[in-house]
Amino acid sequence: MNLKNRFFKLKRDLNRWSLLLLLILGIVSVPILTIGFKLFGGPGESWNHIVDYVLFDYLKNSFLLALFCSVIVILFGVTTAWLVSRFEFPFRKQLEWLLILPLSVPAYIMAYAYAGVFGYSGLFSKLMEFFGNGDFRIEVMNIYGLSLILSISLFPYVYVSSRTFFLAQATNLLEASRMLGISEFKSFFKLIFPLARPAILAGLVLVLMEVLNDYGAASYYGVSTFTTGIFRSWFSLGEPETAIYLSAILLLIVFGLILFEKWQRRHLNFTAAKTSKQNYNSRIKPKKANQVWFSVICFVPVFLGFVLPVIQLLIWLKQTFASVWTVEFISVTLESFGIAFLTASITVLFALLLLFFTKWNKIELLKSSSKLGVLGYAIPGIIIAIGVLIPSLYLDKWLIEKNITSKLILNATLIALVYAYVVRFLAVAYQPLESSSLKIDRSLSDSSKVLGKGNFKTFFKIEFPLIRVGMLSAFILVFIDILKELPLTLIMKPYDVNTLAVKAFEYASDEMVSSAALPSLLIILTALIPAIFLNKLLLKNASNS
Amino acid sequence: MQATLNITNLSKSFDQGKVKALEDVTFHVNPGDICAVVGESGSGKTTLIRLIAGLEELDSGEIHIENHLVASIKKNVAPEKRDVGMVFQEYALFPHLSVLDNVVYGIKKSKSKKDTALETLDLVGLKGYEKRYPHELSGGQQQRVALARALAPKPSVLILDEPFSNLDAMMRYRLRNEVFNIIKKTGVTAIFVTHDTQDALAVADEILILQNGKLVQKDEASALYKKPQSIYVASLFGNTVQLNKGLQTAFKCPLKEDCCHAIRNESITVNQDCDYVSEAEILKRTFLGTHSQLLLKLDNGEHLTVVTSEPVLGNTIKIGFNSKDVLAFDE
Amino acid sequence: MQKIIYLLLISVFVIGCKSDNKKETENELTVYTHRHYESDQELFKRFEEESGIKLNIVNASADELIQKMNLEGEQSPADVLITVDAGRLYRAKSQGLLQSFSSKLVDSIVPNYLKDEDGQWVGLTKRARVVAYAKDRVDSTQLSTYADLATEKWDNKILVRSSSNIYNQSLLASIIANQGEEFAEEWAQGIVENMARAPKGNDRDQVKAVANNEGDLAIVNTYYIGKLLNSEDSSEVEAGKSVNIFFPNQETTGTHINVSGIGVAKYSPNKEAAIQFIEFLLQEEAQNIFAGSNFEYPVNPNVEPAEILKSWGDFKEDNLSLNKLGEYNKEAVIIFDKAGWK
Repeated sequence: MNLKNRFFKLKRDLNRWSLLLLLILGIVSVPILTIGFKLFGGPGESWNHIVDYVLFDYLKNSFLLALFCSVIVILFGVTTAWLVSRFEFPFRKQLEWLLILPLSVPAYIMAYAYAGVFGYSGLFSKLMEFFGNGDFRIEVMNIYGLSLILSISLFPYVYVSSRTFFLAQATNLLEASRMLGISEFKSFFKLIFPLARPAILAGLVLVLMEVLNDYGAASYYGVSTFTTGIFRSWFSLGEPETAIYLSAILLLIVFGLILFEKWQRRHLNFTAAKTSKQNYNSRIKPKKANQVWFSVICFVPVFLGFVLPVIQLLIWLKQTFASVWTVEFISVTLESFGIAFLTASITVLFALLLLFFTKWNKIELLKSSSKLGVLGYAIPGIIIAIGVLIPSLYLDKWLIEKNITSKLILNATLIALVYAYVVRFLAVAYQPLESSSLKIDRSLSDSSKVLGKGNFKTFFKIEFPLIRVGMLSAFILVFIDILKELPLTLIMKPYDVNTLAVKAFEYASDEMVSSAALPSLLIILTALIPAIFLNKLLLKNASNS
Repeated sequence: MQATLNITNLSKSFDQGKVKALEDVTFHVNPGDICAVVGESGSGKTTLIRLIAGLEELDSGEIHIENHLVASIKKNVAPEKRDVGMVFQEYALFPHLSVLDNVVYGIKKSKSKKDTALETLDLVGLKGYEKRYPHELSGGQQQRVALARALAPKPSVLILDEPFSNLDAMMRYRLRNEVFNIIKKTGVTAIFVTHDTQDALAVADEILILQNGKLVQKDEASALYKKPQSIYVASLFGNTVQLNKGLQTAFKCPLKEDCCHAIRNESITVNQDCDYVSEAEILKRTFLGTHSQLLLKLDNGEHLTVVTSEPVLGNTIKIGFNSKDVLAFDE
Repeated sequence: MQKIIYLLLISVFVIGCKSDNKKETENELTVYTHRHYESDQELFKRFEEESGIKLNIVNASADELIQKMNLEGEQSPADVLITVDAGRLYRAKSQGLLQSFSSKLVDSIVPNYLKDEDGQWVGLTKRARVVAYAKDRVDSTQLSTYADLATEKWDNKILVRSSSNIYNQSLLASIIANQGEEFAEEWAQGIVENMARAPKGNDRDQVKAVANNEGDLAIVNTYYIGKLLNSEDSSEVEAGKSVNIFFPNQETTGTHINVSGIGVAKYSPNKEAAIQFIEFLLQEEAQNIFAGSNFEYPVNPNVEPAEILKSWGDFKEDNLSLNKLGEYNKEAVIIFDKAGWK
């Protein structure tokens, strides 16, 4: 096609949605671009030192951590998802939602709890003493322990995404496979695992982004990863430029991950396109002995990821409640809840706009670049904070110079905080929204348009009612994430607003871990409600499709 | 309500030009006509109707509906403003809306929306079903709701995408006639896509054949059947045997060119006097109720399948065809 | 569902109220602080009552607060910056975020080595970095200096946290300042070779590891021992009781000390109130609270430290100017990296 026609086509296809998409992409990528722009300044003077002495360690540890976590997360997430969606066994219904609970325990809290359980005169050594083997100890404060802890606090992402797949699509195929004389177990490896790959990977990418981003747990366990390296070069070496260089490398790795995920499912669009019209599947009832085993297998991650840390926290709570409890906690809890609610709503709105503007825009190039908007999840919260602070302060100063305002109106107010959260958590909201909108037959929105309704009307009348469940699960995931979020909140929150995570951090950073039990448990409790709600939704959705 | 549809030099490709879906297609549909688009899967039929509906953007060419330019390289009227109705392959009924709400959905006039919808439902024979939901209806009923929904806003062009492919044979036959009676009654200009030529022959005023994104023939049904322009077109309308050198020798029918003649299997007669005849050995008989299908081996070793309603005895038979039934192509 | 909506409305309302009363007045002081102890809350409340000045508290790590002040520039609402180590105050100063202030009261209370040479910041409380040794396994006469800890004698005996921790960085910085870079490098290497395990956990965990027989010597800050001994958790008390405190370098330069300190922000909107606040924190009343609840050594010589601290006895402090800790901080980190101290 010649250049002139290309131009005409571009002019024809450039609609207001393309412009709005650009606007949204612009808004969410300002912080990322700001950080990118900082790269031109070159790294700090210690860069060579870092390359010589520690970079390899950062790469190695982050890689190992990602590898171990992938294995454990898939092991826990996929196995349990498969068991609860294919088999009938005692407590299946309860386990189904219990398996989501570990998501409500922040990884850094989990790390402290585990150090407590397996540490000096902790629960574990008391148990061993009871069995007359007091000297036997398990060391959790190393890279293996860290992998386990991150995995059990994050595996629900994979559990949720693969269970949705198993419930919605696997039944027919499994029945066909069994008719061919292949056992349920064999079918799982030959058929279901390969087919569920895109669903599993979608969850896994979220997990890996969180793993790479973790600071609290890794630094406590003394594992130097990329993110601890970013903190170290910034705060110990005093070189933000170097920290930004390190984050850029991290960002490239994550970008590679996202591309890989896209690439590996290029042929697999069918899985997303059509769900089977079969009714809710019938579960297989295995032998009695196996039933017990299945219950046990599903209970293990619940125990490790929820029961055990909560027991430890309750023990600490018992010790410290009297000294820590103040009425202030009620208002802090409400504030945390309110901020998470407000921000989660806005984040979901942005994700929706990003998704649908992309759909309505007709320029191919823009369509494929819209994924850039969700990169924020991979960037450590503290770097995002910088990316937000620089431009918003600039704007604030400009407003003051022009005498439009008399003081900072963006910074140290909820506006900047919420903005930073949106940039950071857009990916978490985007993922479930995208997959639920892919499930809607394209011809539904097409026919609405042919029937004379524009994009907006079509959205409200057709797509909105059909992706409601996806929207709610997006909302809940972001809500839980914001409740747990720390570094961003610390630096960007207004003076007189407090969150539970900040409270927990204050105690923990002062080495008063046991006093952090109260705010930690309140976080878990607040996150618990939507987590259970999410599960109900997923079930309802599965039985409707 | 009736409109002409004018397509000129329409082209469209996907994946940055790697996959050519339509190439330089030009045709014209008269007001009130029913035009069938026939082709194998992948021939570009779906792309063609999506372009007409405005659900895709063309790469070059123009589309006019009733003298209004709706799509070109410089202009693209949004689907909601094209005044086109469409019945989708799997009906695409809105699952969360009742039958009535589905039909009301596209009607623009605010005053008599409900009345219009009820009238249209009456027209398709679904009076009394307005409160049901799509999943409570049978396939045929869903099809009719889809038709009513598309007709209710009174579009100037109606597009039907494989409208009967999801129905069983009996239902299909009944509904086909019903649907097109209704369409004829409303007088809307209609385009429908099908891979089944029986549908096309039965109801279309004109048939348009697509092959690999190119328009290969457009004609009235009977003309198309009698005088297909290529073996591809001929074979779309039933099994066709190309008369190659071997067959020409076997039937002793010397034709001028080697490549461009064919005979429909149904024109081949058994044990009758014809212009060209040959002996054949029966390799296999398949009983098909009123007919039998025979797999034959000719003298020169060529294999051939024929269908006959005559009782056939013995191991060899005489088969033949008349010269008037020989199809000749331009290629 | 209705209940949830009510809950939401209430919480949104609470936030709304909170952000509403943010009118800057003359009578406000914005405190950027890394300290977040319960006792500080008490102090702040008393100051508000006595002076009638309202405090806005921004709680985050010193690094983040410094970065924030940097970005905010002239518009920064911060009046004072409180950190828990001298190195960060030095960094804030060297980035031009602080300003000099003069107060006769401050000068009369705080000795020079606990102050910035240009009078931009001042120490509030002291903590010493000491050796906690296993009562039952270590003969205290064997202990002498920090340098001694790097000798073969203590092979596989030493427990210490990560070098990302500022207290370790400050300790090494003091060694660089006192004995030179080369010596510091050898020392760090020696310690790494003597480590009983890879560095992990916090100071309390090092003491617990001694109690757990993973090593014999823990390099920790004094006030964590005080906290362990006063913990609600009986196992922590036990761990605290299993060790004794040794103050190194008594015969030489003195035990390394660090301060939690306060500086006046460069663009402080309310400098007078800031100085008033600092004076308040250094006087007996406030210093008593610091000493009493947090097991830090007060900088005000008229105030007695807590009973536990007194029981460990007096000791000779390293009188090295704390400015040096900041000055050599980066070198310290680089030496740690080279030595492989995680």
